[in-house]
Amino acid sequence: MSDNLASLPALRVNGISKSYGVSRALVDVSFDILRGRVHALVGENGAGKSTLVKIITGIIQADSGQIFVGSNPVRFQTPIEARTAGIGAVYQDPKLFAHLDVAENIFMGAYPTTIAGTVDRKTMYERAALGLRQLGLDLDPRSLIAGLSVAELQFVEIARALLADLQLLILDEPTSALTPAESERLFKIIRTLRDRDKSVLLITHRLEEVEAIADDITILRDGRHVATRPAKQINRAALVQMMVGRPIETLFARRQSEGLGKEILRVERLGLVGQFTDVSFSLRAGEIVGMAGLVGAGRSEIAQSLFGIRPPSTGRVYLNGRHVVPRGPNQMLRLGLAYLPEDRDGQGLILPESIVDNVTLPIVGRLAHMGILNRASERQVAAGATATYDVKATSIEQPVSSLSGGNRQKVAFAKWLATKPTALILDEPTHGIDIGSKAQVHRIIIDLADSGLGVLLISSDLPELLAVSDRILVIAEGRLVSEFSRGEATQEKVMMAATQDVRGLAE
Amino acid sequence: MSVLAEKTTPAVAVPRRSFSEFALRLRVSGVLAFLFITGLIFSLLTPQFLTVQNASAIASNAAILSIVAAAQAIVLLTRNVDVSVGSMMGLTAYLTADYAARHPNVGAELVLLALVIGLVLGTINGLLVAYGRVSSLIATLATMSLYRGFTYMYAHGQEVTSNKLPRWMLHSVDLRFWGIPMLVVICILVVTLVATFLRHYPIGRRIYAVGSNPLASVFYGLRIQRVVLLAYGLGGLLCGFAGLLYAARVGTVTVILASGWEMSSLAAAVIGGVSVTGGSGTVIGAALGALVLATIDNGLVLLGIPEFWRMFIQGSSIVAAAAVDVFIGVRIRKALQGQRFARRAA
Repeated sequence: MSDNLASLPALRVNGISKSYGVSRALVDVSFDILRGRVHALVGENGAGKSTLVKIITGIIQADSGQIFVGSNPVRFQTPIEARTAGIGAVYQDPKLFAHLDVAENIFMGAYPTTIAGTVDRKTMYERAALGLRQLGLDLDPRSLIAGLSVAELQFVEIARALLADLQLLILDEPTSALTPAESERLFKIIRTLRDRDKSVLLITHRLEEVEAIADDITILRDGRHVATRPAKQINRAALVQMMVGRPIETLFARRQSEGLGKEILRVERLGLVGQFTDVSFSLRAGEIVGMAGLVGAGRSEIAQSLFGIRPPSTGRVYLNGRHVVPRGPNQMLRLGLAYLPEDRDGQGLILPESIVDNVTLPIVGRLAHMGILNRASERQVAAGATATYDVKATSIEQPVSSLSGGNRQKVAFAKWLATKPTALILDEPTHGIDIGSKAQVHRIIIDLADSGLGVLLISSDLPELLAVSDRILVIAEGRLVSEFSRGEATQEKVMMAATQDVRGLAE
Repeated sequence: MSVLAEKTTPAVAVPRRSFSEFALRLRVSGVLAFLFITGLIFSLLTPQFLTVQNASAIASNAAILSIVAAAQAIVLLTRNVDVSVGSMMGLTAYLTADYAARHPNVGAELVLLALVIGLVLGTINGLLVAYGRVSSLIATLATMSLYRGFTYMYAHGQEVTSNKLPRWMLHSVDLRFWGIPMLVVICILVVTLVATFLRHYPIGRRIYAVGSNPLASVFYGLRIQRVVLLAYGLGGLLCGFAGLLYAARVGTVTVILASGWEMSSLAAAVIGGVSVTGGSGTVIGAALGALVLATIDNGLVLLGIPEFWRMFIQGSSIVAAAAVDVFIGVRIRKALQGQRFARRAA
């Protein structure tokens, strides 16, 4: 490398945009990652961090914009091409081959070979052993991936990335599965890389880590670039403000609720091994309790556990004053709890079927007479529901797949409310639907609460959560870390709570 | 790389040899124990079992199946299945035998013909599965029927009798090599060749990788579709060769030659430790699985136990092997992703 090249950034992202259908994941994002610096990339859920990483490493292609490595514009078609150009990434969930051994995982796609074209196993195991030792990892390169711990998997991925001659190492939430001691050892590796004039792009939701290790920080919000600053010039409060400064659309703010009813749902020290632990809260009739947190914090897992899809391993659940042990959705529906899953199209609705069939599916047993379906009463229920929730459709026989996102969500509401629940859990109910429908969904949620239902609302949309909820619970890394009343909650406070490192609290 | 020369002490405590790893390794080596136990039981039950002559007969019977089981194993490794193996054998056997009947002076190019036909048939399967995105079971069920149907159409109800086949073809499989049947020698060679390919060539390792974790394969830049196509092509090639061997062995080639082999090959592969969920197993294991089946067959005949027990054993071994796979698979999934906050939550 000549001297004038050394002054160029390691990687330049220039005007990158990417859309999926109508939703815009990235809009004209530009920033530089400097040589020999640790660059943190932060942003809320859905800010576009992962999409950007995938574009840089060639897993997906940008719609427009350019990426420069040094002075060369590049457009990687595969991660192997990126690797050859000196860019390697370690993803959040280990992407490894369980049935193969450590060395093979490290070298997959770039094996050392002999003259005969066979895999040079001797060299491979030696180099793998050396690489692992340099990471301070006492791991036999011949052991199978299937037998390793999560932290070991993470380090194998890092070893894999480092065995190529990398100029830029991308780490996507690398510490989420590590203990503090393991994280510290990872940071040591990161600092060593930096001292050798390599660059590291670190994606993390732990702002403590950003403060501890980043030289530069780039903030993304809703797929747009907000700022890139040296870490010294920015404090945590300012950082959070830039992360959450999402434009607030006109929202149905909930009027101050007067007098809540009796307690409908009480959860005591609920836990599911490996997912979440020690979660306690209650929900009263007419109350909307918001649940905030980052993707992967365990919110959906808590909801699904309560609904009996993955029954909790510890803790007690009281529904309408009775102690219940969640075993399955059928049982929980019967007891008066309904759950609208986040993946509406995949888990919540049967797309090719008609509105009638979808709405009445959970209650066909009730509508049937001696085991035979009564089509007339089915139609009656469905017609009533589509009118109540204002579903825009030409006929109730129309297949759900032909409806818009917002209308599909309304059908999903109608479907679960047909079971006449007393408590309702909504998982990202406005995700991926247009603003008009969003407002209608908010209206529906508020009306439901006013009619006496207890609503647990999981949402990554902070303005929405603040506008609609009476109380907000914040989940971080499988724990309930904070609770805010309607009056005291702000976007900044909630985000600050959601991005804290909770490992200290655990011990 | 050598980016990091700094000496550091290990921070991660390393528990060696977890249960999942143990189970995975056992699954592969277990077939040897199974073979030994079956052999032991039969030799205790009947004195005719443990003779050189009988062992040689068992090996000959296992030989062709071991090649087909290897073909099945390659496809299973990629998380797919090929139920058209018997039909590919049948069609190749008929076409090559028919060609030989029309060209009495045909020489070793007959082998090439069989390989090409097998490769074409396997490639059709591969294209359907990899690029047509048809589920492998459905696609190969369809071609199983198609290839067999084509054999019927082509044959017009005629069979190719042994007197029409070249003498060298019939004789070559009966030769002995230091007392070992030629058929067995050929099969050991072929299986070793395939095993070497899978174990020692980068493309062979990709077959394992794609079946082990398709999602990770994308991130590693592996071209899944090409790998799957290659697996099917190679499987077809082996089935074509096996079809020719079978024709040479039985002499008379009928249109139903090798029907039912999809089941035997599948049973041999899973008994041999090849996972039905992909990524794990060896062709040597699959070949040994074929030997287990042949041993059981032979023992049952010696003991005068009815034939249907063979089907019973095939079926139950597939169920048992699949159950073990599910069990191991669950543990592997847990190990890879199930415990994001486990150590803190515990």
